[in-house]
Amino acid sequence: MRQLIVRRLLQTIPMLFFVSIACFAMIKFAPGDPVLSFVTPNMHAEDIERIRHNLGLDKPAYIQYFLWIKEALSGNLGYSLVNHQPVLDQILDRLPATAGLMGASIGLAVLLAIPLGLLAGANRNRWIDKLINLFSYVGISIPLFWLAILLIYFFSIKLSWLPSMGMRTIGVESALDVLKHGIMPCIVLAFGFLAIYVRYIRSSTIGQLKEDYVQIQYAFGSSKRVVLFRHVMKHVLLPVITLLGMSMGELVAGAIVTETVFSWPGIGSLGMTAVRGMDYPVIMGITLFSSVMLIFGNLAADILYGIADPRIQTKR
Amino acid sequence: MRTRKNKSLYGIILMAILTLVVSACSNNGNSSPSPSASNTTPSASQPAESGQAKDGGSLIFAVASDPIVLNPNYAGDRVSLTIDQALFAPLFQVNNGQKTFYLADSLSLSEDGLTYTLKLKEGLTWHDGEKLTADDVVFTLEKILDESQNSFLRANFVIGGKPVQATKVDDTTVEFKLPQVSPAFEAALVQVFPIPKHIFENETNIEKSEKNKAPIGSGPFKFKEYKTGEYLTLERFDNYFGGKPHLDSVTYRVAKDTNAANLALQNGEINLKYLDPQDVATIQATNNFEILPYSEGRLGYMMFNQKSDTGVLNKKEVRQAIAYALNREELIQVAYTSLDYADPAKSFLTPDVLYQTNDVPTFDNDVAKAKELLQTAGVSNLKLRFIVQTGNKAQEAISLYVQQKLKDIGVTVELQSMDSSAWVAKFLDQKATDYELAVTGYIMSFDPDSYSILFSSDGSSNYSHYDNKQVDELFKQGAGEGDATKREGIYKQIQEIVADDAAIYPIAYTKTIVALDKRYGGTEEAVLKPVVVFEDLSKIYLK
Repeated sequence: MRQLIVRRLLQTIPMLFFVSIACFAMIKFAPGDPVLSFVTPNMHAEDIERIRHNLGLDKPAYIQYFLWIKEALSGNLGYSLVNHQPVLDQILDRLPATAGLMGASIGLAVLLAIPLGLLAGANRNRWIDKLINLFSYVGISIPLFWLAILLIYFFSIKLSWLPSMGMRTIGVESALDVLKHGIMPCIVLAFGFLAIYVRYIRSSTIGQLKEDYVQIQYAFGSSKRVVLFRHVMKHVLLPVITLLGMSMGELVAGAIVTETVFSWPGIGSLGMTAVRGMDYPVIMGITLFSSVMLIFGNLAADILYGIADPRIQTKR
Repeated sequence: MRTRKNKSLYGIILMAILTLVVSACSNNGNSSPSPSASNTTPSASQPAESGQAKDGGSLIFAVASDPIVLNPNYAGDRVSLTIDQALFAPLFQVNNGQKTFYLADSLSLSEDGLTYTLKLKEGLTWHDGEKLTADDVVFTLEKILDESQNSFLRANFVIGGKPVQATKVDDTTVEFKLPQVSPAFEAALVQVFPIPKHIFENETNIEKSEKNKAPIGSGPFKFKEYKTGEYLTLERFDNYFGGKPHLDSVTYRVAKDTNAANLALQNGEINLKYLDPQDVATIQATNNFEILPYSEGRLGYMMFNQKSDTGVLNKKEVRQAIAYALNREELIQVAYTSLDYADPAKSFLTPDVLYQTNDVPTFDNDVAKAKELLQTAGVSNLKLRFIVQTGNKAQEAISLYVQQKLKDIGVTVELQSMDSSAWVAKFLDQKATDYELAVTGYIMSFDPDSYSILFSSDGSSNYSHYDNKQVDELFKQGAGEGDATKREGIYKQIQEIVADDAAIYPIAYTKTIVALDKRYGGTEEAVLKPVVVFEDLSKIYLK
């Protein structure tokens, strides 16, 4: 196990390096210029050039990249071109909001997906399966921002049950208040994953139900419910761990949309603002952060999988 | 076994809740300790009680993003400028030709037109209780002029290559010595909001100073709390020289998604918000909001790139022909939904600018005349490339309309849609020659001299590459002309020439629309102002 962890950790170094190069190149080649976001008609050309020089944007791209990587290696992700605040501070400021939202969403998605997937798989082609299938199709195809607006309309405007935006009521410091604000963003972010997990668990359940051990359990007189939730679930849950690791990338993408619509002050909305303002250091910082999350998410999934099923290690 | 499974299930639920709670308890942003829950904002469903000005209550203003920097020497974005307007008091303001003194008591010009004397009001104080004096004004101007301090305002105070000199005469008097006569100086000075010398005097880089995170200003509201990505709250400054503000607090709430923010407005979570013309009807239908459209001194226009590689727009007749093919009222209807939100524009100067006139040549819809002009210019089978920002509703609508109308005079328009940053880069690239048409707009100052950078042949923002030596000469004369009558004549002549040359196709003086909860009053006294919504927020009250 230790060997696996060390090997995977070492593999992450070149991966992060390539991700950073690819990301830097993509942003550099994208149309637009960060300095243009400061330009007002009253500014003179020499003022614009002076700002460009002061920000180091007149240097060749590869030098800008190496300066960035040099600083990044020492833990300094640079300063935002727009508000001049340290990128790392901005990410760390926003991290708790995003981590809370993501954690709660994944938890909610897994929690609902397990019974729904098992039920659908065990009742293949019956009405309940069709209903759950329909639900997951809707979940996969519905745009998150649209679902978000729909929820706001019903729960905030029509029913006045939940606040429509932000993370807390102005001036209020209470966990309960944040929970109330977090309900809708959490549901929206969980929705997409829920649908994917349900479909995965469903097909996995169908496969498991054909296995011999299931027939043996039935032969011993176990009820369908016991077989499903005590024996099949154990086998079905194992691959869900991998699925969780792989969800990290989509989770970041989903968080960008969800956080923007609900004005949730997390990394996703920070990223959105940075992209709009071509704020290179912030975009790079967030990309690096998301990549690390994705890589470590997968690593954690592999390790957990190894712990849950020791046979996996011997295959590597 | 089953119990253990149930336990793990509860464990997961608990984990999910805990993660959210942990994030809730984390203190993100640079907030000062927050007092107990005191959300005094009333709910939107309550009707207005009376029209009387009362003290107390709060106002929640939706802003599209976080402020970039809370220091008026550096604020260039709408959000920072809006918050700064409440935090920092200006010397004076000019709005719709009306001059209102704030920190200043008077501003006078010497006979030779080279020295402005500014008198400050007596007994001014900063939010921290320190006295606000002439030293602060001089310090502010020195820092604006200091190249190492990176202020956007610097170029305004360099006249004919030389800086303006500010000197303290006594505690309430400052003298500004100009290197040459410059009637546009007032338009530059109006942008100055003094910053406190006692706070910033030892800062090497004021722009990046930590002190901007909890700014000390002299405006009607003082800084209270900022939660990055969430909201920024200001509280009433009792010693405001203009009288105690009515509201207890004003909060700028970050609302990134327009659709969601419109719902929050209807839900009472926001009291004041910008509206797109397309959303007015929905908000109006609730009957809870006052819709306030007002001019921002912005001209929306179609730009002719005279330097395109085909060179077709170099000929004045071709530009005039294009103008003849279009109908301004139809264009406004198409782009801004109603004449209520956009006034037809003829001059390149906006109505709030000194000496603006709409009495200039216009080329009103006349297809026959357009065809005739094209023939005179010897142009046939004309093809024009029109760059359009994807997702910009007004630009998309205008481009489609222009494409349709120019077809009537035998001109083909090829639309080139591009992402907004690509569009901006192309538009600002003075060397771009691969397109002929674009739709854009500008907001300049109230003095016509500021427009010289757009229409002088060597102007830094002359994106259409308009070149008329007579106009260049007139702009130079206008900048140094101290006699108001002569100056007026000069700028009227410039407007006529530029219009006759069809240097641009002015479409409309567009209006900004804000929705304010009907329970708030005082909008007339607070005065609607371009970019920052209200000139003096201290006058807004809860009825």
